[in-house]
Order: sequence, then structure tokens, then C-alpha cells
Amino acid sequence: MLSLQHLSKYYQSGGNKTFVLNDVSLDVDEGEFVSIMGPSGSGKSTLLNIIGMLDEPSEGYQYFAGEAVHLLKDKQRSALSRTYMGYVFQAYHLIDELTVYENIETPLIYQNIKGSERKALVADILDRFNIVGKKDLFPSQLSGGQQQLVGIARALIAKPKLLLADEPTGNLNSKQGDEIMELFLKLNKEDGVTIIQVTHSEKNAEYGSRIINLLDGKIESSRVLNHQ
Amino acid sequence: MLNNYLKIAWRNLYKNKVFSLIHILGLTIGITVCMMIFLFIMNEFSMDRFHQKGKNIYRVMRSAEAFKIKVPYLSGPYAPALLNDFPTEIKKAVRVMTSQKLISFGNHAFNEKKVYVVDSDFFSLFTFPLIKGDAHTALKDPGNVVLTESTAKKYFGDEDPMGKVIEMDKHQPLKVTGVAKDVPSNSHLNFDLVIPISNYFKENWFNEWINNNGFTYVLLDEHVNPADLEKRFPAFMEKYMGKDMARIQAHFDLSLTPLNAIYFEDSSSFDDVKHGDKSVVYIFLSIAVLILVIACINFMNLSTVRAVERSKEVGLRKVLGALRNHLMWQFIGESVLLTVISCGFSMLLLMLLMPWYNNLLGYSLSVSWTAWPIYLFLIGVIVAVGFLAGSYPAFILSGFSPIQALKGKFKLGKGGAMFRQGLVVLQFSISVFLIVGTLIINNQMSYVKNKDLGYDKEQSVVVPVSSDDLYRNLNLFKTELKSNSNVASVSLMSGEPGGFYDIHSFEVEGQQDVFKPNTEFADFDFVKTLGLKVIAGRDFSAQYPTDSTNAILINRTAATKLGFTPEQAIGKWVKNNMRDESRRRIVGVIEDYNFLSLKENINALFISPVEDWRVVVIKLKPGRIQNGLGVIKDAYRKAAPVYPFEYSFLNQKFDTVYKEDLRQQTILSIFSGLAIFIACLGLFGLSLFTAAKRTKEIGVRKVLGSSVHNIMLLLSKDMLKPVLIATFIAMPIGYYCMDKWLQNFVYRTPLHWWIFMLAAMITFGIAILTVSFQSIKAARANPVKSLRSE
Ligand SMILES: Nc1ncnc2c1ncn2[C@@H]1O[C@H](COP(=O)(O)OP(=O)(O)OP(=O)(O)O)[C@@H](O)[C@H]1O
Ligand SMILES: [Mg+2]
Repeated sequence: MLSLQHLSKYYQSGGNKTFVLNDVSLDVDEGEFVSIMGPSGSGKSTLLNIIGMLDEPSEGYQYFAGEAVHLLKDKQRSALSRTYMGYVFQAYHLIDELTVYENIETPLIYQNIKGSERKALVADILDRFNIVGKKDLFPSQLSGGQQQLVGIARALIAKPKLLLADEPTGNLNSKQGDEIMELFLKLNKEDGVTIIQVTHSEKNAEYGSRIINLLDGKIESSRVLNHQ
Repeated sequence: MLNNYLKIAWRNLYKNKVFSLIHILGLTIGITVCMMIFLFIMNEFSMDRFHQKGKNIYRVMRSAEAFKIKVPYLSGPYAPALLNDFPTEIKKAVRVMTSQKLISFGNHAFNEKKVYVVDSDFFSLFTFPLIKGDAHTALKDPGNVVLTESTAKKYFGDEDPMGKVIEMDKHQPLKVTGVAKDVPSNSHLNFDLVIPISNYFKENWFNEWINNNGFTYVLLDEHVNPADLEKRFPAFMEKYMGKDMARIQAHFDLSLTPLNAIYFEDSSSFDDVKHGDKSVVYIFLSIAVLILVIACINFMNLSTVRAVERSKEVGLRKVLGALRNHLMWQFIGESVLLTVISCGFSMLLLMLLMPWYNNLLGYSLSVSWTAWPIYLFLIGVIVAVGFLAGSYPAFILSGFSPIQALKGKFKLGKGGAMFRQGLVVLQFSISVFLIVGTLIINNQMSYVKNKDLGYDKEQSVVVPVSSDDLYRNLNLFKTELKSNSNVASVSLMSGEPGGFYDIHSFEVEGQQDVFKPNTEFADFDFVKTLGLKVIAGRDFSAQYPTDSTNAILINRTAATKLGFTPEQAIGKWVKNNMRDESRRRIVGVIEDYNFLSLKENINALFISPVEDWRVVVIKLKPGRIQNGLGVIKDAYRKAAPVYPFEYSFLNQKFDTVYKEDLRQQTILSIFSGLAIFIACLGLFGLSLFTAAKRTKEIGVRKVLGSSVHNIMLLLSKDMLKPVLIATFIAMPIGYYCMDKWLQNFVYRTPLHWWIFMLAAMITFGIAILTVSFQSIKAARANPVKSLRSE
């Protein structure tokens, strides 16, 4: 589904380049559930953002769904990411001024989906995540776990093929974290959503089908897990 | 999508109450002022445009070399002669004489000031619709009268006025044959009663060619070029006026002024219809634009700095698939919403303020909420403010990189900061400019007001000779007053200082050409009553019985213009070609005084003791004003029993002459005050933001031992820099413009340096107050609290 080849990201600081990602090559197939691990500052978020086309690499080749992303214009890239990807953040990142319902609805608006259809889709996902009762509340009125649930619902509303999650459980207690991970697993297995997540927790990483270890901007190891 | 944007916009407005208030308050004031100015300008430019035949109506103007300006007054015979000599070119000629009349019926009496004496075609030439009566026949008989709606209401209440009989000047009954709609405020002609000019057809004075006393309007045939017609007027004048012109050694010519252009002709004491001033229109227009600019800048600046708070939302929306133009439209939508809300408030505010504004203007403007112009204007404002001012912050905001924005690392660029500082500079430049303007205008007006005019204007009452009764009994009136102990002196004259002065042509001893000074016709008490100074020779005196026929006084300017010293002038002979049969000797020269308004230079003045009394000036003894007025009133009642007693004070003449200037001064002051207020509102918003943004820095500094004083300085310094720059930019511009404006005045105050200092101090004072209000609060705050909050 996606392929990164000899991809680098660096920042210019006082004449010399500081590499955040250094010659990274990575292929992810459809249906995979990849966990990215590594110490703080190793470039995990940067990698995820580049995959999600929120950030651009300094060098290298990037392919997604058969398109050469590094050759695309801004607008085309954003159209691509819009139709294929959903994002979940550690800090939830809900829009404070919108209710739960409206937060979940927003991506659909930008995809020019009709009102009646939006209503059905949002109602459906609210139901699936068991948050129908919360739909008119504002983010500040929810617990962290609930906010992350809304965040995931929002990421999934447009039926993405690829879900990108940067420390989705980082701000949650372990019970809430487990619930989210179970949800991811189910999405991966039952709906066939490809998932790439960044995590610091070995336990959460184990939910995935492959664990990639990043160190100083390089892939240090890649380990395929065999779940029974 | 729209719904979503609206919701967000509304919630944001609601969440940031202070900012929203600043935004809306500033815009509302700005838009209201602009609407007021818009109404004013619309009215000015709609002057006389409502006449259906207006395109072909012209007023006949008379010019002579003696006058610098054209004069609209013509005598009665012109109109029929014009019709006779140009039968195909001139379709209609209507004479209009403005007059005052005593109107009485039953036991009511009114001194009507706006009586028009006109030809019977008046209502068919001009579009002043009649509610009752027939436009073509209402003025057919001399005994007819047409009232305006208000006059009819004043006289008869709700009764039907048609057919009622009123009495004019106590001797002529008039039957009401028509009721006209009230004259709109955008008409240079303005009347309460209209009577037929046929009343005067038999009078001698009416049929004399040189007796110029009314306006003549002509309706030209559509195919006639007025310029071609004007070329044929010299021959016309020669034919009818040739002998007269030769006798008085003057040459007159005629010209045509289109009806639409009459209003914006120069006003002068020779033309007492309503006049406007294009430069005032432009000044107001500029103010409206400047105020709107200030309001827009507030808008742009505040929305942009607030953008930082919204960077997370912007970043998120981008991550969720928003394109740049989605976001552009969202933010433009928000500013349009704010503008629409402000427009709503402005409409309300305008409705509330209309009576006050009309009072300020001195005439009645009305807002036609049912007509399109006002809405077109509002839409214009919404587009201009909402879209233009909204698109800059929208552009900045939508340009955020999503990752930066989400990390909260977003900073407004350096270039942008420069731009925004530039905007603040512009805002305050405008404010300083307006303050300078207002101060100089106020200073000039007070200079004019307090200038020594060269005559004694205190304790003096002016009574116009407004009726034949009073004119007949003038000597009685004067004798009666003179003998009273409250009265210092009484003088009968043709024009009081600041009033009306004819220009006549004189032959003067030793001069090749005729001399054309202003003329005053007065009695022997003139010099004494006005407190004038004789600098050579003597005053008129009853000891010289021949004075009334043989003597004349001139002013210093006249002597100078004739090439004499005051002493040399004494004994020279002069002859008034228009009035006198024989020569007069100059018996005295008086010091110059401002007999015309201060807008005009002191001209040459010849004062002859000839009977042409139009006003009575009564000088009362000090402290006797109350009693004196009572005495005058009694004497007036004896001289002109039925007429209401009317008077004014000589020292109030200023207020009437400068009424328009004073009005404009007031309006200008108010509007520039508001402009400054709006600019400060913006500054307040910015300082609010800066202080909030720097709470943490302030906290750290305080912990490190900074004093409140230091912190205030730190915060205020940045805010006040643009104000300082603005002051330096605005001063020279203000100097230049106000110097130009002052050229309109003959007597003008110099542009004192202290005015500019004062303007700078006012601006800084207000700015410092605005800024430090926030700075103090921030500096005083408990550092621990602010650090913990981060
Ligand atoms: N704008 C920038 N300029 C310079 N360096 C940057 C910039 N953004 C990120 N970096 C650097 O890139 C490196 C990688 O950052 P990244 O956020 O990808 O780390 P991470 O692996 O996600 O760490 P964490 O586990 O703490 O989230 C860090 O060392 C960071 O300092
Ligand atoms: Mg990270």
C-alpha cells in the first residue's frame, strides 16, 4: 500500500544538517498493523507525519496507493490523504468549539458529502462507539478516554484505508488504553483497515502484526509477530 | 458547510466576549458615522434633482464687472421681455421673489418669513406637487394663495384649508386655492406660502428695469443649447438696458445656470437661497473613508493576532481535509458575520440618533428604509469590511502549516508583524491628522469669533424694518426710543455690520474710472451707534443742515484705493450715479471695520445720509438689556401694531453668519473624536492581547525582581512606538492640508506650533491611558498564579 525509499528528513541548523530521519526505507502492505517504537526524539512522529502527508521529506521517494507522492502538488496530495487516511493524536485534538457530533462530522464536510448522508454516517459511528448520549457535549465535558474515542470515531468516519495513530493511548490509563487497542485490533481484523501506530508501550505494540524500532532516525530493527 | 462555519463563528464570538465587543463596537460606530455621512452626501447630491423638467430649467444670472460674482436678482420686466424676444427658445419664464409677510386671520397673526411671490406657472414649472388644488390654476388670481401642508396645519389644524381666507399685511385678503406638499430638504427653493406675483403688476417699482429684486427661472426648449442662447443676451441687454447702463456707467450681462448647479454655486450675501459647499462634501466624504479605514484596520489586526489562539483549530481542520480556500471562506465568513451584526446595530443606532443628527445639521434628513440606496451602501460596507478586512487574517490563518499549528509552535511572521505595525501607524496617523484638523478649525473659529471687528457690537439690538407700517413710522419709532433713558443711541441704516451691502458706481474727483464701493445709507447717528472711529474730518452732524444732500463719509480702505491719505480725501467730491442728482463732498474718513463677514476682505465703503432704511440698530446703556428690550417692544407695537416683534443682537450676528461653519465644526469634532475612539479601541485590543501573550514572561520577570514600573514600561514601549511614528507622519500632512483650508479665510489664525504639540499630547495621552490600563493589570498580577497557569 505504501512504500518509502531512501527517505530522509533534516533540518538546517547553522550550516550543518541535523538528520531526524536518515535514509529510511519501509514498505507497508494493505491490512498490516504496524507499531513504531523507539526512544524519544528518534523521529517516530516525523515519520508518521510524512506517511500521513502532513509533513514533507527532505529527500527520497514516497509512494502511496500507486502514486508517487513526492511528485504530487499540494492539492493532489491533500486530496489523496483526505480520501485514504484517518489520524488519531495523543492529545486528542478535538475542536473545542464543536460538539462531539460536529467534530465527527467535520471531515465529511470537507469531502462534500451531502447532509442527509452525513447524518446517517455519524449516527452509525456514534452508535458503534457507544457515545450516542454524548453527541451534544463539548470536548471539555468529556473524560480523556472518551475524547480519544471521539478522536478515533472522527478518524474513521470517512472510512479510511489507513489509520495513523501517534501515541493514541499516551494520555490514558492502562484500562482505557487496552480498550482502544482492542478497538484497533478489531478494526484491523474485521474491517481490514491498515493501521500504523506510534507507541512507547511494549504491550500495546504487541497488538500489531509488525514492530519497527527507530533509533536516531534509522530503522534499527523490524520484527514480524505471529499471533495465533 | 455554511451552517458549520456559522456555528463556529458564533461560538467564537461568544467565547471571546471582549474581543467581539471591541470588534462590534468599533465597527458599529464606524458604520453609523459612515451612514450619517452617506445620508448627508446623498442629500447634497440629490439637490433639486426631483424636478421633472429640471434638465431644461435654468436660472437667469446677471453679472457686472463691479461684482466678482454673478447675481441672481432681476427686475420684473426681464421675464416677459425674454419670452417676447426668444419665443422658440424659452418656453416658460417664472419669476420668484422671496418675501416676508404678516399673515393674519381671526385673532391669529404670523410673521411668515418664507413667502414666495411667483408667476402663476410656478407649480407647473417646478415639481412641487399639490395635495389639493390644481397646479395650473391655483395661482391664477391675485387673491389666491397656496400653503404648504405644514403651514395649512399650523393655521387650520385638521380643518380643510381650501377656500379659507387669510389676510396679508392687514389689507389684502387671500383665498387658499391649493395645498402643496412640504418642500423637501433637498431643494434650494424653500417656501411656506406662495402668492401670485400678479399682485404687483401695477406697481411702478415692479416695472422698472433697474429694480432688481427677484429670481427669474426659464424653461428652455429641449433642443436649445444654453450657450448659444447666452451669446444672444448682450444684444438683448443693449436693447432694453442700453440707456440705463450708459447712465450709471455699468455694464451688465446675463447668463444661465442649470437648476442642478444652483445649489453648489458660491453662496454670497447676494443670493439668499440655500447653498451647499462641495469642499464640505469632500471633507465629509474623506472623514467617512478614514473612519472606515480605521475600523477595518482594527478588524484586521485584532483578527490576526487572535489567529494564534486559533492555530490549533486551523491545523486540525487541515488535517481533517480542509483546503486552504475552505479555511479562507470560513474566516471571511466570520468577518462578514461580524460586519452584518455591526450593520444591524448601526441601523438601530442610526434610528436612535437621527433626531440628534438632524438637530446638528440644522435640517431634516430622513432615512428611507424602503429605498435601495441605504441597503446598497450597507452591502458595500459588508463587502468592503467583511471581505477585504477579513481576507487578510483569513490569508494568514489558512497559511499555517498543520503540524506547526498543532504543536502550538506557531508564530506570526516578522514581515507580518511589520505590516500590522504599519497598519497601526496608519490608524494613528489618521487620528493625529483628524485631531490636528479639529484643533485648527476650532482655533480658527474662535479667532474669527473673538477678532476685534472694529465696531462696538455689545448691547446692540437689531430690528429689521420688515413691514410697511414700521417703515412709515420709523421716525416716530426712533424719536420714542432716543428719548428713553435705557437707550444710548439709535440709528437707521440700510445694512448692519455683517448684513447686506449694495455696490453702486460713483464718479470721484480726480479719478478717470467710476469707483465701485459698497454702500451704506444711514442717518446721522450711524457712527456713534456703531462706535466707529473718525480718523480724519468729521462725522455727519445736525449742525450742518446740508449734510443730508451734500456730505458723505468713506472708510480708510476707500481713501487708500482712491490714492488719498485720509486727510487728502477730505473735501473731494463724489457722485453716486445710481442714486444722487448732485455731487457730495467727503466730510470724514472712518477707520476700517468689518462690515462684511470675515470671509471677505474689508472693501471700500461709502456712507451716505440717504433714506434707505432696512434695519434699526439700537444701542442700549450698559446693564439695561432687559429693560431696554421692553422699551423697544413697546415702541415697536406703537409703530407697527399687528406685527410680531422681531429682533436680534448685533453680537449674535456672528453666529448667524458662521452658522454653517459652526455646524460643520461641531460635526467634524464629533466625528474625529469617534475616529480616535475607534483607533484606541483597536490599540486596547492589541494591548490586551500582548499582555495576555506575555503573562508568563511578566511572571518570570517579576520573580526575577522586576518592578511593576519596569514591566509597565516594557509593555507600553512596544505599543507606543507606532503611535510616535504616526505622529511624525501626520504632522506635516496636517500642516499642509490645514494651511490649504485656512486659505478660505481672509482673516486667519497662524498655524501655531502649540496646536501640533497639543495634538501629539492628546494622542499620546489617550494611547498611554489605553495601553497602561492593560499593562498595569498585567504587571500587578501575582506572578505565581501566572506561572502556574502555563
Ligand atoms: N522544526 C524542527 N526543527 C529542528 N528540529 C526538529 C524540528 N521538529 C522536530 N525536530 C527534531 O526532530 C527530532 C524528532 O522529533 P519527533 O517528534 O519525530 O520525535 P519522536 O520520536 O516522536 O519523539 P517523542 O517520543 O518524544 O514523541 C527531535 O530531535 C526534534 O528535536
Ligand atoms: Mg512523537
